[in-house]
Amino acid sequence: MDTRWKKSKVICSFAAFFMGVSMLLVNLVPAVCLYLALGDQAFLSVVDYQESDEFRSLISGRLEELISAATGGKGWTFGNAAVTEGYGYYDGRPGGYMGLLDRALNEVTVTEETVIEQSADYVDDYQDALEDWQRHREEAYAAEMSEYGYDTDYYDGYAYVDGPEWTLDDYMADMARNKNIRYAVIFQDKLLYSNIEGYEEQTGEAWDKSNFYQALSEEDYNFALWYNWSDDGKVQMVKDGLAVDVYGDGIYGDDSLWYVPGYANFTLGESAKDARVFMAAAKEPKLYLVGDYGGYGVDQYGGRLYYMKLARTDMHRDFQRICQYLIASVILLAFALLMRKSKRLADQKIAAWTGQVFLEVKVFLWLLILLFLVGKSVGVLSSVYWKISNGFSSYFCWSTDIFYEVSQLCRAGVYLTAFYWLFYLAVLDWKGNRKKQKKPLLDLLKVKDLGYPLQKRLVRRQRMKVIMEIAILLVAGAVCPGVCLLYGAASSYGAYDYGTYDWVYEWAYGGGAYTGGIVVMIVLMISLCMLLGFMLLDVMTLRKNRRLAEDIGALSDQIQAVREGNLADDLQLSTDTDLQEAAKNLNEIQKGMETALREQIKSERMKVDLVTNVSHDIKTPLTSIISYVELLRQEQNLPEHVKEFIQILGEKSERLRNIVQDVFEISKATSGQLPVQMEILDMGKLLRQTLADMNGQIIQSSFTMKLAIPETPMPVLADGQRLYRVFQNLLQNALYYSLEGSRIYLSLTEETGCIVVRMKNTSSVELEHTKDFTERFVRGDESRTDGGNGLGLSIAKSFTQACGGNLTVETDADLFTVTVSFQKAAELS
Amino acid sequence: MITTGLRKGEVSNLRNRKMDECVLVVDDDREIVRAIALLLEKEGYRVLKAYDGMEALRILGEQSVQLIIMDVMMPKLDGLSAMMKIRERKNLPIIVLSAKTEDTDKILGLSMGADDYVSKPFHPQELAARVKSQLRRYTMLGGIHAQHEEDEIVNGRLCYRLQERTLYADGEPVKLTATETKIMELLMKNRGRIFPAEEIYERVWEEPSFAPENTVMVHIRHIREKIELNPKEPEYIKVVWGIGYKMEKK
Repeated sequence: MDTRWKKSKVICSFAAFFMGVSMLLVNLVPAVCLYLALGDQAFLSVVDYQESDEFRSLISGRLEELISAATGGKGWTFGNAAVTEGYGYYDGRPGGYMGLLDRALNEVTVTEETVIEQSADYVDDYQDALEDWQRHREEAYAAEMSEYGYDTDYYDGYAYVDGPEWTLDDYMADMARNKNIRYAVIFQDKLLYSNIEGYEEQTGEAWDKSNFYQALSEEDYNFALWYNWSDDGKVQMVKDGLAVDVYGDGIYGDDSLWYVPGYANFTLGESAKDARVFMAAAKEPKLYLVGDYGGYGVDQYGGRLYYMKLARTDMHRDFQRICQYLIASVILLAFALLMRKSKRLADQKIAAWTGQVFLEVKVFLWLLILLFLVGKSVGVLSSVYWKISNGFSSYFCWSTDIFYEVSQLCRAGVYLTAFYWLFYLAVLDWKGNRKKQKKPLLDLLKVKDLGYPLQKRLVRRQRMKVIMEIAILLVAGAVCPGVCLLYGAASSYGAYDYGTYDWVYEWAYGGGAYTGGIVVMIVLMISLCMLLGFMLLDVMTLRKNRRLAEDIGALSDQIQAVREGNLADDLQLSTDTDLQEAAKNLNEIQKGMETALREQIKSERMKVDLVTNVSHDIKTPLTSIISYVELLRQEQNLPEHVKEFIQILGEKSERLRNIVQDVFEISKATSGQLPVQMEILDMGKLLRQTLADMNGQIIQSSFTMKLAIPETPMPVLADGQRLYRVFQNLLQNALYYSLEGSRIYLSLTEETGCIVVRMKNTSSVELEHTKDFTERFVRGDESRTDGGNGLGLSIAKSFTQACGGNLTVETDADLFTVTVSFQKAAELS
Repeated sequence: MITTGLRKGEVSNLRNRKMDECVLVVDDDREIVRAIALLLEKEGYRVLKAYDGMEALRILGEQSVQLIIMDVMMPKLDGLSAMMKIRERKNLPIIVLSAKTEDTDKILGLSMGADDYVSKPFHPQELAARVKSQLRRYTMLGGIHAQHEEDEIVNGRLCYRLQERTLYADGEPVKLTATETKIMELLMKNRGRIFPAEEIYERVWEEPSFAPENTVMVHIRHIREKIELNPKEPEYIKVVWGIGYKMEKK
């Protein structure tokens, strides 16, 4: 239950962190950009589309158009095609281009960097700008037309060259249908154009803004503009009944809101001074549709303001939604911060997972994803960066374009997030696994390789080499022309026409003359041929090497066999091999070893036989001694001192009996002839049993046993009877040699797959540190002749080893430590 | 000193009865034969001596013998061969003496017809106790063909009567405490099975155990002193080191 709760805590904390960071990063870029675009209005509950640069720019532009129209300007005479185009790109197409006139204006604005000293002689301005624009359009159009092979006059539904003749009147008639902007244009006291109904007819100079304003409801049209140069040389604007501060500090500059004449440095040319313009903008713009079914279908009017409002409302809604996401992400992050301990655990877990993956695979995948991400995101990110650094309120994200922009901004956020997690993962992995890096994949291949015998391995390696060479050859052969073709194809699509890949195109196709390309191809072919030559050489030596590999393999197999104890069989290699000498030497070594081993076994057997015989020969007289001592003991009426002598005789003969038994056992154990019955037993139980068995002795002694024997099973594979002797001897040793009244510590622990028993006691005599206490007949205190025979530890050690364990003795000042360790067995049976 | 568990008044009676029991001691070491003879005579047995296998066979043919103590390594006819010959005709208990102490020697001796195996150098008291035990079973219980009642569990020298809840060793009741009796009942009923200390504790004391080795061991030690011939080298209740305790199945 507890671990489950902990586990779910870990998952929750990381999920919160993941969601928090992801939401934050995905939404941060759009949030910043939308804030830049919406400005102060971002946090208002309802957005006013009129409080935007786009609106101001549109009104300024429209004012220019109207003034220009009032003058009957030369701009219109330049060619109706311009207007036609203007129409085509002008109104009401979502995601479409700017109006031609706006564009012209804007190009002027963009090129003017310092304070513009200009006189608004609109006609001339238009002319230059329009000429540039026209030329550019014509070139692009011609290119497009030739690309698609179209000879129609329409592209994308709009006429470019051969559209119907458009006049200023046609244009104004179209404009009149847009009821979102009401206007009236007066030139030289004469009303020229208007789309306002119900105004009072006036003549001459009597035309005033009030004439038109009264005809409109302020509910519907909350913005009004009046331009009459002769009033005060300024454009007046009213919004919701309040005058708008148009000019600010009175100097036109980059930060000025309205591009209209009336600034100290923005005066008016003579031709436009006679014009008067009234404009009003709808509070709630609508689309005005006319079903021109005889013409091109349904025409849309007023779309610009309508979509502007729509876009800004959408932006505002998006911004608020994104803000909610941001708040949510901050809450999630705070939650993750609160549970940072659990989150750290999750990090470690992830690092452990990634630690399982081979380093090469990791680096390769990581780089692959990074490259993919960079490739996918560089365009989006750079454009977003460019937009942010260039000011967000420029026309690049105006109006209908915003649909595209927001999705692009979100994509930028997604890429940022992806980058973040990619690097987060890398850092986690580096932090978690830098010390214990998993073996590289190559090692694994090597390990797999090791499964084969040597000769096969060598042959395999040779074969692999040839296969790899073929692979490289094929890849190289395929890649070079492939790359050329690929870039060639790309070039022919025109995608790299003016791009940085020009050189590839040049290179592959040799520019105009193809000569460069041919040279490159020849060099390539020569290199490939050389590679092929190397490969053939390798194939030719393959057979010879195989023969050598087989001999080496046989040699190494023989060495293995010798190591495993097979000394009888000689290694037979054919006489002409390079390894003849080595084989001969090995056979001789083998013979020498065999002889030495036989001698050793013989001497070992003799030693055991000797000990057996000697001990047998001692036992027979000892039997007599013990028997007669017993008879003596049963004798009545003996003097007291004789009884004492008999007692001593009894004790000594008993001790002699023990020594004979011990010597016999130890000689068998050290010569490896001690029979052991291995079974799985519990070391803890064995220790407790031993202690219980010796409880009487322990209680009688002056020592306190300090035990640390856990109840959990500690399975080892050993001979219980022998192991009992080991611990019996150790305990007896401790009880015998410890300092009076001290404590004996006995602990049982599991250490890295080993079961370790440690016994510590304080010696009563000074310990010699150079002494090996496990040697036969070595005792801590040489001066003592009573009790032990110096075989206890020696037996304990040899019995432990006979059971497959290990016994070591350490001394530190008077502290005497014996450590018995066994490999932990699988489980108790 | 041998503690026979008999009261003083019975001793003389026993002496007389024992004089009927004749033990043949065979060893090529005359001193050992003499020592054993003295020892057994003190215990009240009649002792015959032989110094090799042939002699032993000859004596057996001439006299009535109830038990043989025989060394393995002897001139003319060694102990094992002599034993095989004896077993062709007789059923009497044979105790083998040997300086070889390895398990394989012991098993060989016992499988060739020996009833008991004592390794040299032995404790004289132990040998005497074994002689007594063997004779008791042979004479009082009617040799190896003793008939067992149904509510008896017989295991070598031991016999547990379920209804009486009493343990007999060599036909004599053993005085056990209630707990010891419970332990013996459990072990006798499950001869050869290894019991962890926990299980013995839980089944005898009938309460959960915590590191019960000490408690169990104390009782086992007491039982051993009452039933084993040599409590230091027990034959019946054995420790299976690192696993538990068991009653050896005889």
